[in-house]
Amino acid sequence: MSEQRRFGESDHEPLNQDDILAQAIGQWRDELPSRDLWPGVSARLEARKAQRQVAFTLPQLAMAASLLIAVASGLTWMVARPPAAPGAGTQPVIQAYGAPEEAETGGQIVPANFADAQFNAAVSDLERILRDERGRLDPRTVLVIERNLKAIDAAIQEARMALNNDPANPYLNSHLADARRRKLDLLRTVTTLASVGGD
Amino acid sequence: MPVDDVVLATQGDTAAFERVYRAHMPRIFNLARRMAGPDAAEELTQDVFVRAWQKLALFRGESSFATWLHRLAVNVIIERFRTLGTARERFLSDSEAVLDVAPAVRTKHLDLSMDLQVAIAQLPEGARTVFVLHDVEGYRHEEIGDILGVSPGTSKSQLHRARQTLRVLLNKKAVTGS
Repeated sequence: MSEQRRFGESDHEPLNQDDILAQAIGQWRDELPSRDLWPGVSARLEARKAQRQVAFTLPQLAMAASLLIAVASGLTWMVARPPAAPGAGTQPVIQAYGAPEEAETGGQIVPANFADAQFNAAVSDLERILRDERGRLDPRTVLVIERNLKAIDAAIQEARMALNNDPANPYLNSHLADARRRKLDLLRTVTTLASVGGD
Repeated sequence: MPVDDVVLATQGDTAAFERVYRAHMPRIFNLARRMAGPDAAEELTQDVFVRAWQKLALFRGESSFATWLHRLAVNVIIERFRTLGTARERFLSDSEAVLDVAPAVRTKHLDLSMDLQVAIAQLPEGARTVFVLHDVEGYRHEEIGDILGVSPGTSKSQLHRARQTLRVLLNKKAVTGS
């Protein structure tokens, strides 16, 4: 578009200067907004900057997910194997994620709640957002994310099965809680990435 | 505005981007006012500059920054129309009745610009958009067709319809003074 071009100089039916319409356009003066609009623009830019700062790159996401899977598998193997010696290492040191404080439970280990409603609701919400926003991500990226989420789900499932045999095991509870927290983190990061990436 | 401000803004300098904003805001605000009406113009202006900030990296300097920004603003405004539920059929409809063309009346009318603002608000959005882009902002029908995703012929017919309707409304105001 030519910035300087105005009515009457265009390529189709130029308006006659005597035309009432041409006169009206000629009188259509510029105005200014009733308020300074910059503070509103600036606030939105800052919000977007902050949003971008918490987003990871896709290779970072893929690497984090792979690392999580490796660590989770290792921990599961270590915890699920038979104890080396009777009476060794029985003092629980880590409490399950989301479990009540020790003061409320008399120092007893509380097994992880497998049907944690809050966790399921949060995961469900994030998965729904991811489904809605997946069109804004590269299909190859979506494949990587889904593969990693499946692997994390498998690790969670393994931990749950191990806990069926040893519900009070602090390491298994901690491992399960950690895997679930990481799943939430991954979903949150990916949904943020999807919402930012489509702009 | 120094050209360097655009470069600095591209690198994330918000102070430079504010100077870019100050230099270009009046033109963008008035574009929004004419295309979408005064009520929506302020918010749309903010939307345009937020979008410009996000898209700055795509500005390659192939046209002037003002031209690039103006085109981006037109797209943001049209997107808003569509988001607000302006169906494509309605946006581009040729079926709406065109008022009978009244003979031109030469008049010593005092404030045609106010009348135009009122009259233009009565146009269907498609016709209003084409009229503002063509007769006020100087776009060609081919450019308007690209922006709206229609043929240049459709743009021409929309313009014809808009002009006829506006002349009728302006002349009516001039004659009746109401």
